Amino acid sequence: MSVLNVDYMMGLVPILLRYLPLTLAMAVAGMVLALVLACGLAVIRVLRIPGLNGATLLFISFFRGTPLLVQLFLFYYGLPQLLAFLTQIGGITATIMGLTLHFSAYMAESIRAAIVGVDRSQTEAALSIGMTNGQLMRRIVLPQATRVAVPTLMNYFIDMIKATSLAFTLGVTELMGATQKEASGSFLYFEAFITVAIIYWLIVEGLAWFQRRLETRLNEAYRR
Amino acid sequence: MLRRFTLAALATGLMTLGGLVHAEDDTIKVGMSGGYFPFTFVEQDTLKGFEVDVMEAVADELDREVEFVTADFSGLFGMLESGRIDTIANQITITEERQAKYLFTDPYVYDGAQVVVKEGNAEIEGVEDLRDKSVAVNLGSNYEDLLRELPYADEIDIRTYDSNIEQDTALGRVDAFVMDRVSATQVIKEKPLPLQLAGPTFSEIRNALPFRDTETDRKLRDQVNEALDALREDGTLTEISERWFDADITTQP
Repeated sequence: MSVLNVDYMMGLVPILLRYLPLTLAMAVAGMVLALVLACGLAVIRVLRIPGLNGATLLFISFFRGTPLLVQLFLFYYGLPQLLAFLTQIGGITATIMGLTLHFSAYMAESIRAAIVGVDRSQTEAALSIGMTNGQLMRRIVLPQATRVAVPTLMNYFIDMIKATSLAFTLGVTELMGATQKEASGSFLYFEAFITVAIIYWLIVEGLAWFQRRLETRLNEAYRR
Repeated sequence: MLRRFTLAALATGLMTLGGLVHAEDDTIKVGMSGGYFPFTFVEQDTLKGFEVDVMEAVADELDREVEFVTADFSGLFGMLESGRIDTIANQITITEERQAKYLFTDPYVYDGAQVVVKEGNAEIEGVEDLRDKSVAVNLGSNYEDLLRELPYADEIDIRTYDSNIEQDTALGRVDAFVMDRVSATQVIKEKPLPLQLAGPTFSEIRNALPFRDTETDRKLRDQVNEALDALREDGTLTEISERWFDADITTQP
């Protein structure tokens, strides 16, 4: 076993960091869109809106029930064979779409659980003092549900950052794609992949730190 | 010559966001994995290799721009099929199945399939020794088909990989891998992996550029073919080959 080539690893870091913005941009875009979609889906599920409820169930079932890689290949390579105009969708857009659809299915369920988890007596109390449904949601239910949902949503965001590493299969050179190609040129696999692993790890650690601060803020009212 | 491969994916994304894609007519979009030394690989963030040089020479000859799109090998034919690239320059072997579906240029690389084992492995000395052994091949490559055509294919444990078959053979996770002789020789010569060639090649391989079977793509294929002919005549292909392999792999042996 040869000695770890530290010089190579050090040289690799600035090269790989060039691809970090793209990785983060795809994850952030995916997260924002997935949140919006998931909130919509969760509301439909909580209120059991007729017609939409069934469609939502099917949506969640499909996007939770199939691997993300399958979904990405299906949209990027499969559907354009049926609908030619879809080839205009680029790899980055397709990745963001895939992340959005896939993760919104999971997030919808945890948001729904957070909303349903707010004690029913709170709703009754709010209605008894004459709040409208909108006020009830805005002032009573959602603030409490947010506090419950944040840790799991952050979990999904972390997962999403790592899931962007699938984008190279769609021709998007992000952090992982860049690493794979560099490793193929140097054949220093261990060095290349441990370097990228540390980069991912540090990003996620940074997020975890942010999450702790956010949770402290959200829990202020509950501190004893 | 512009090497815009790093921006290729980004550009595709932005064009989509901008609405309609206005395909630049004189740009040839070439897909490659960027992970197949020394045909297409990356060093210090720069795409290099035999295929890169050949395609840049072809584009020069045609007085057109070339844009390299790198993607995982398993995605390349999907990209070609869905019209996102014009052709694939990744040592694509001409096979009957592919010929039924795609238009190929004339071959520009002649080679053979080669069994490679971990250094010191005396058990495997050629393709006939692969019975009851595990053999790694790249997913989507034609080496899997070559192995399956062997009369004793049932007795071979064929494992398809997305990448890193050299590494897993060196680590002893599989007994051997199959790759073309030219790149196998290069891998052994230049990279710090304990590997050795096992026996002679077992099948002739001809590599060419595949194009979709449409009228426009047929025209492009014909143009590229003419460019390849010219480059073969004036010795450019040989020169590029010598640069990467110390040998001419572009003419029939």
